[in-house]
Amino acid sequence: MTMRTPRSRSILRASTLAAALLLATTTLTACGSSGPGGSDDDSIDVWVYQDASTKVQRAVVERFNKTSKVKAKLTEVPGEGYSDKMRTSMGTPNAPDVFFNWGGGSISDFVKEDMLVDLGPSFKKDPELQKAFIPSILKAGAVNNTYYGIPMRGMQPVILFYNKKVFQDAGAQPPKSWDDLLGLINTFKKKGVTPFALAGTDPWTELMWVEYLVDRYGGAEVFKRIQSGDASGWDDPAVLKTAETIKELVDRGTFGKNYKSVNYTADGASTLFAKGKAAMHLMGSWEYANQKANQPDFAKSGLGWTTFPAIPDGNGDPKNVVGNPTNYWSVNAKTKGKKRDAAIEFVKFAAKQDYSKDLIANGDVPATSDATSLLGKHENPTYAQFQYDMVREAPSFTLSWDQALSAKNTPALHTNIQKLFNGQLSPTGFVTAMQKDIK
Amino acid sequence: MAGADSAAADPKGAPGQGAPRGGSGRRAVGRKAAGRKAVGRNAVGRPSAAWALPGVLFFVCFAVAPMLLVGYLAFTDWDGIGSPQWTGTDNWSRLWHDPDMRQAVWLSLLLTVLTWLVQTPIALLLGVWAAGRQRNRAVLSAIFFLPLLASSVALALVWKQLLDPNFGLIAEIGPALGFEDGDLLGDPQGALGAILFVTAWQFIPLHTLIYQGGARAIPRSLYDAAAIDGAGTVRQFFSITLPQLRNTVVTSSVIMVVGALTFFDTVLILTKGGPGTDTSIVPFLMYKNGFQAFDLGYASAVAALLVVVATAVSLLLVRLTGFSAMRSTREGM
Amino acid sequence: MTDVLHQRPEADRTTGKAAPPSKPRRAGLPRLLKGSGPRRPNYPAGLASLIWLVIVGAPLYVLVATTFRTRDGYIDDGPLALPTHPTLANYDRVLSSHFFSYLGNTLVVTAVCAAIVIVLSVTVGYAVVRARSRMSRRVFQIFLLGLAIPSQAVIIPIYLVITKLQLYDTLLAVILPTAAFSLPVSVLILAGTMRDIDEELYESMALDGAGPTRVLLRLVVPMSRAGISTVGVYSALHAWNGFMFPLILTQSRSNRVLTLGLYDYVGEFRVDTPALLTAVVLSIVPIFVVYLFARRQLINGLMGVGGK
Repeated sequence: MTMRTPRSRSILRASTLAAALLLATTTLTACGSSGPGGSDDDSIDVWVYQDASTKVQRAVVERFNKTSKVKAKLTEVPGEGYSDKMRTSMGTPNAPDVFFNWGGGSISDFVKEDMLVDLGPSFKKDPELQKAFIPSILKAGAVNNTYYGIPMRGMQPVILFYNKKVFQDAGAQPPKSWDDLLGLINTFKKKGVTPFALAGTDPWTELMWVEYLVDRYGGAEVFKRIQSGDASGWDDPAVLKTAETIKELVDRGTFGKNYKSVNYTADGASTLFAKGKAAMHLMGSWEYANQKANQPDFAKSGLGWTTFPAIPDGNGDPKNVVGNPTNYWSVNAKTKGKKRDAAIEFVKFAAKQDYSKDLIANGDVPATSDATSLLGKHENPTYAQFQYDMVREAPSFTLSWDQALSAKNTPALHTNIQKLFNGQLSPTGFVTAMQKDIK
Repeated sequence: MAGADSAAADPKGAPGQGAPRGGSGRRAVGRKAAGRKAVGRNAVGRPSAAWALPGVLFFVCFAVAPMLLVGYLAFTDWDGIGSPQWTGTDNWSRLWHDPDMRQAVWLSLLLTVLTWLVQTPIALLLGVWAAGRQRNRAVLSAIFFLPLLASSVALALVWKQLLDPNFGLIAEIGPALGFEDGDLLGDPQGALGAILFVTAWQFIPLHTLIYQGGARAIPRSLYDAAAIDGAGTVRQFFSITLPQLRNTVVTSSVIMVVGALTFFDTVLILTKGGPGTDTSIVPFLMYKNGFQAFDLGYASAVAALLVVVATAVSLLLVRLTGFSAMRSTREGM
Repeated sequence: MTDVLHQRPEADRTTGKAAPPSKPRRAGLPRLLKGSGPRRPNYPAGLASLIWLVIVGAPLYVLVATTFRTRDGYIDDGPLALPTHPTLANYDRVLSSHFFSYLGNTLVVTAVCAAIVIVLSVTVGYAVVRARSRMSRRVFQIFLLGLAIPSQAVIIPIYLVITKLQLYDTLLAVILPTAAFSLPVSVLILAGTMRDIDEELYESMALDGAGPTRVLLRLVVPMSRAGISTVGVYSALHAWNGFMFPLILTQSRSNRVLTLGLYDYVGEFRVDTPALLTAVVLSIVPIFVVYLFARRQLINGLMGVGGK
């Protein structure tokens, strides 16, 4: 076989080439990827949702790093894709050690796979820690009565905001009843102002309307049934009534004409509202911090707020609140030893008073027991007090549906709601779609 | 058909009428080369097939194996955290009954056809024009070329800003174009149209360039002969330029079609598949099921379907436009 | 891209005869660029090009002009108003928002991808065109199969593979699949180019007793320079513009490439459109500089993808 020699030689050459190539590649990329994704031995990777409130977490990381040998490294994940990215990385070895979440469905899949540290023992060891938070809010982050989360941001009830100047110009008063609200819609339409700003490209903002309406029509029980996996919850007349009401609101021109292409994540709706092109905005309490970051003057003197009114013949308690009780830190169970101790130590920093003070200074109302004494320090004490009372007096605080249900259901939930608002689904079509898609 | 006839009559117009003959003529050249290869049948200096090994291994690892893995995952239920569970054909029957999927396939095909219909004539016309020699053409061609320098992400972001109904360009010029409220992206047809327009804006330069290259390679003698025959510009275009560009059209079309089936970046940024699901094309639906709902098994089934559709469409296109000729060229190598 | 298969020396398409088929196309190209194409001015196409100029030019103007404006000015006066008080603050803001880190990552990804693709497609192309064994045709068919596969379709298994290789959130996670999906077109282009090299040249090298490596380096690579630069341009652009792989396979800021960085600026700059558009403009600058200095190579490279 004379062929042998050249052939084996070229195999040799080819494999040398391949090896050299691989070596070159790895060396080159090693230079490029010097910042490791959180698997170092001497630091813990902390993930947080990036928005106007992130600076509070930046400050706490700094404080923590002054006291600890194991340093915390903050990764700010842009809000738009936070849940998706967090979920994607949790399936990999590069998962964060400590991460921001919404409790409930946002972590239930991780709990199922034993991926989170049970914080119960830490509470037992340190009763003060447990006492530091408002019990109902601490509980809202629990899954199967086990604590996996430490509250780390302000309370986030959904509030009906209004633009004081626009109201003044129209000689209008904030709505106290559903009829008031319908009347205001007409008033503002006549004035050429969009009654409600709505960010139709971000369906979770539309979801807030659905959540409040279902609650006002049928009470908090309706969603509790849905959440527990009882698909017949969608059959509740409150759901259909809600869908019909939304169609009616849309048809009345409540949200103007181009809400379908307005966004929230790039502040489209908030800017419209602050600039007086829209009179009201149904949004989470973070809207205040958000406006403060972009239009400080408006946040200070132009922003008004009230509760979502009761609906005639509704069974729900008008004091009920929807939204996010707060956000939580959870600790990854894969974080072991020294790093786990550091991670738990880090999340405890959220119970300290300087953390609450930072939240207050940022315009948030902390979910800590000592918040009452701090409210006066809020730059807008009436807003802080309003929010605090609203949450404290609420017989029920329903977690945002897209966080309460598991990730698997979120896209369908959002799509169906968007279609309802866009008129692509009829009210009955909406109910049928929900029954079918949410399992 | 005087133009074509005279071109064929021209002793120098070798490729004859239209490309098929040109193709066969070329194949003859290929054969000749192959024949010559046969003469020098010594193995000295020839590489062994092992030279292909690193490339093949690499390609198999990161393209072929994942492809096969998609096939496997499409029969499982996998949430990305645990391990995939075999569920047989569950995903496939779900896929078959999923209205979103039907809509996505329809939208993908529609977008592909429309993309071709919009981009091909414009790129063809611009390319032929840019193949000329005047100075100002060079400057203009340079400007046309600019969108090609930006990534689809960058361009989608720019257009997202320009199409903002309240603060964008569309708010100012929308009424003049018939969009009273600037609500282009909130309207099913408008959103699809926006994707069509933005991708055309981005990719027409590439296809213009391809046609420009093709048009420059057309022998001038063909036009000279046609001019003597008194054929006008339009006639020359249809009887010489177009037939001569046949292969270029195939190339450009294949790139366009495979590209249009996968306009993911633009859809994600510009419309997020909305309003509702009205711009959720197949790759977007896969992303949504896979990396938002974390239903990765089902998303794999969608992906497998995407592979089938993409392969089928390109094969069909290639068949329709005489790919078999190419195949024989390949076999002659 | 499949048209590459048709490639052969340009010379005979112009003359129509089998005239020196061995002439490398590199030599034939510049002459062609000057001396052919329709002779008469094409008015309809000229008009179309003017319309297209407006369609391309107007948004580009808004894009660039906006970068010199303030956020409030943009919101209050609308996108078409002139920047009355031009400011460079946006550039300052973007450049201090990790822009250079993103750019650096993209450069690494682009360079490494192009290097991998060039080396692998040259060796594969060489084997496909010159190797005797029947295997080489199989190899070619494998790559042809890869042509129609959209890279997006395999993102889920790639995610699985990358995770298992412990490569999630590294630049390598982006580089490996991106390079793999540039290979089919590249192999096609290079096989086309290499097939045009005259047999006699191989024979004379063989007479000199040159082994395959020497033939590759001394003959095949120099003669395929046009094809190699096409492959380089194609794979570099592919890597430069890649989005879905980085979106899903990387996370941390230190491994963020420019496309993903731009996408994430939306969340960071929010309603600050001028800052966002500035980031877009800055992302185009590096490639624009390349374009200015290597316009011909870039354009010829892209034309090469189309296969003339």
